[in-house]
Amino acid sequence: PELAPYVKKERPPMHEFIRKILYQDLTKPNTDKVLRLMRKLEWDNEELSSYAVKCLTFAFNVKYYNIRCLANLVAGLVTYQECVGTQVVDGVMEDIRLGMEINQAKHNQRRVAMVKYLGELYNYRMVESGDVFKVLYSLITFGVSMSHDVPSDLDPPEHLFRIRLVCILLETCGQYFSTGISKKKLDYFLLFFQNYYWFKFSDPYWVTENTFPVGMTHMFRDTLLNLRPNLLLYANFEDAQKGIEDLKNEFAKTVLKQFQSVLNSPSEHEEPS
Amino acid sequence: MENDYCEQKHDKTDSTVPLTKVVVRRLPPSLTEESFLEHIKPLPSTEHFYFVKAEKRLKQNAFSRAYIKFVKQDDIWQFKERFDNHPFIDNRGAEYRAVVEFAPFQGVPVNDWKQNNGCK
Repeated sequence: PELAPYVKKERPPMHEFIRKILYQDLTKPNTDKVLRLMRKLEWDNEELSSYAVKCLTFAFNVKYYNIRCLANLVAGLVTYQECVGTQVVDGVMEDIRLGMEINQAKHNQRRVAMVKYLGELYNYRMVESGDVFKVLYSLITFGVSMSHDVPSDLDPPEHLFRIRLVCILLETCGQYFSTGISKKKLDYFLLFFQNYYWFKFSDPYWVTENTFPVGMTHMFRDTLLNLRPNLLLYANFEDAQKGIEDLKNEFAKTVLKQFQSVLNSPSEHEEPS
Repeated sequence: MENDYCEQKHDKTDSTVPLTKVVVRRLPPSLTEESFLEHIKPLPSTEHFYFVKAEKRLKQNAFSRAYIKFVKQDDIWQFKERFDNHPFIDNRGAEYRAVVEFAPFQGVPVNDWKQNNGCK
């Protein structure tokens, strides 16, 4: 078959330059050098600055290993061009969401890179743990039906890619959710993640001739046990569901207690009508 | 920069701060910032606004979007009322239903130097 001739996209020289320094030159040892070049861009030029932000957002154009360098670069650049940080993070969040909405396999590599990038952006303090958890929870809930009888369009039974994305994000920055409130948040999330995993695992789609991929199970277990070596993993969907149920009850009790203490303490709190 | 790599005690913001940054998604790829602003007039007072052009190579999934940080939370409900699911028509007459949501990332540049530096 005749292949269509490869047409190289014509870009203005400045665009080519940005792409070259970000997508070819950028490595760990020369991050500072690239940063200096990026600072010299004509940031007042609207067209150019939005192109630069776009290039800084598209981490999937960078070698996977160098994604951390891109996050490092953005973190350094923010000191001088503050809005770059916000716009890159917004762009990454949007891409992760759009990826779930489109859900085409051809975008999988891109989605992996973007989730990895978000984790690295957390490591370089461009986002907070709450932002990472928002994405983690969206990955296990967005468009998910949680009922085997009602298969979801956005997350069909044979579709296990979300588990992979969660594992990648946790591998990238989960180790830092080790103290205080973020530790707690991760503990809770792991309950819900296990529940999601077992929901996918127990889907009737997986039969003896076509079992749930072993690799996926390994990745899931490795990720969790790397983060919490002493974590007692649930052994099936029922246990995981019960774990969630217990957590909910525990919460309900705390809320009730707080509510009662509010009721018992006179004055102070005026109930909003 | 290198030593920034984690060991962080961040999470500066309080989680109880009300959400005020909104994203308008799924706008027509051909929409320009000017015509969008024209369309949503009158816009209540905002702290921050920027518009992102669509990524053309996503073809049928290419959308423009806009981020707006409102000053008053009350303004958001009205804005959502007006523009969530609001039809925007592109230059070929196709209809795009906008989606108004709280932006997943609520941060904005501390100094909104759009005015000062022309940064968008």
